Amino acid sequence: MELLDRYLKAVRRHLPWLRQDDIIAEMRANLEAQLEDKQAELGRPLTAEETEAWVKQLGSPLAVAARYQRQQYLIGPALFPIYSYVLRLVLTWLTVIYVVANAVTIAVSNQGGAKVLEAALRLPSIWLINAGIVTLIFAAIELFGPRSPEKFRGLEAMAGPMTASWSPLDLPTLGESDGDWAKPRSFIRALLEVFAGGLFLGWLLLVPHYPYLLFGPGAWYLQSLPYQLAPVWWTFYWLVVVVNIFELGWKVVVLARGAWQRPPNCTRHLVMHALSLVPLSVLLAAPHHALFLLKNPAADAAKYGATVASANSGVLKGVAVVVAIIVLQLLWGMGRVSLDAYRKRQAAK
Amino acid sequence: MTLTENLFENLRLELRRGCLTLAVLAQLKEEHYGYTLRKALAAHGMEIDENTLYPLLRRLEAQGMLTSEWREEDKRNKRFYRLSADGQEIFVRLLKEWNEINTAIANLL
Repeated sequence: MELLDRYLKAVRRHLPWLRQDDIIAEMRANLEAQLEDKQAELGRPLTAEETEAWVKQLGSPLAVAARYQRQQYLIGPALFPIYSYVLRLVLTWLTVIYVVANAVTIAVSNQGGAKVLEAALRLPSIWLINAGIVTLIFAAIELFGPRSPEKFRGLEAMAGPMTASWSPLDLPTLGESDGDWAKPRSFIRALLEVFAGGLFLGWLLLVPHYPYLLFGPGAWYLQSLPYQLAPVWWTFYWLVVVVNIFELGWKVVVLARGAWQRPPNCTRHLVMHALSLVPLSVLLAAPHHALFLLKNPAADAAKYGATVASANSGVLKGVAVVVAIIVLQLLWGMGRVSLDAYRKRQAAK
Repeated sequence: MTLTENLFENLRLELRRGCLTLAVLAQLKEEHYGYTLRKALAAHGMEIDENTLYPLLRRLEAQGMLTSEWREEDKRNKRFYRLSADGQEIFVRLLKEWNEINTAIANLL
C-alpha cells in the first residue's frame, strides 16, 4: 500500500540511525497485520478515504519516531535535582565574585557610573554562558553517565546532601537567619551578649585616653612619627561609639522585654549594616580627602608630603571598597527579607 | 480540556504507566509479536496504543527483560517477544508489589 510505505518512509527519517531498518521492518509487520484484520472485518479493501483516516490515526511520523528515541530529555529526572543545585551554586558564586571584583576595580580606578552600568549589563550574558556550560556538562553526564557511572562519582561529593551518599553529620549548621524555627536562645547567651557589648563599648571609650589598648606598644612609636590623624577621625570615632551604644541599647531592650529567645532577626542586621555606613561615609567625605596630616607641615612637607598623600589615597580606596561590600551585603539582605516576606504572604494565602 | 480533566488525564497516565509494563510482562509468558500482543491485551481489557506498546517492547528488551527473534509467519517476517529469565524474576517481584499495593488500596477504601 503506497500510503503506508510513504508513512513508514517519513517515520524512518526521524528514527535513530542505527536501528531504523529494524524498527521499520517491525512496524511494517505489525501495521500490515492490523490492516489485514481491518480488511477481513470489512470483507473488502479499505477505500482511499478510509486508508487516509487509518494512517492519520497512527500518529504524526515525528511523534511516532520520537517514542523510539533512547533519550527524550537533555537532563533526566534523576540528575535534574543535582543539576539545579549546582547551577544555583555556580550562578550565585559567579555573581558574588563578579560583583566584588568589579566593585573593587571600579573603586580603585576611580571610574564612574558608566562603568557600573557597563558591568551590570554584561552580567546577564555571563550568567547565560555559564548556565550553558553547566547545562552542557550535565547533558553529557546524562548521555554518557549511565553507561560509565564510575566516571562521575565526583558529582556526589559536589552535590553533597543532594545525593544518596549524604551523611546527617554533613548537614549545614543552623544560623541566625534560621530564627523562625531554630532552637531558642538561652537567657545566659543573651545576657553574655549584652555583657560583651558593654565591655566592647567600655574598651572603645578608653582607647582615646589609652591608645596602647588599640595599638599595643606601637602606640609610643606612632607618637614619634611626623604624622597625625586628621580631625575627621574624631567624628568617625564618635559615630562608631553612637552605633555601638545603639546596638547595645537594642540588646538591652530585647532582654528587658523577655524576647531574648528569638535570635536577632534580619531587620536588626540590616539596620546595623546601614548604620555602619554612616561613620565610613564620613571618612569618604573627609575635607580634601585628608585622613592623615603632617604634624609640622612647614618643616616636613618636602620630606613626607608624598608619603602622606599616598597613605591618604590608599586608605580612602580601602574604605571605598569596604563601603561597596557593605552596600552589596545590605542589598543582598534586603532582597532576602523581601523574598522571605513574599514567601510568608504566599504561605498565608 | 478543562484543568480538572487535564489533571485527571495526567494522573491516569501516570497510574497506567507502571501497570502497562506489568500487563505486557504477564502476557509475554507466551510468545507474541507486537500486533498479536496488542490484541491479546485488548481482549483482556487492557487497551494499549500502538505508539506506546511497540517502543515499550524495545525498551524492555534493551533492559534485558525480554528476548526477541525474527521469524517468518504467514509469509511475513515478524519479531516475536518472550519473557527472559531475568524478566521472569523481576515480573514475579513486581507482581508481588502490585498485589500488596492493590490490597493496601482495597483496605484503605
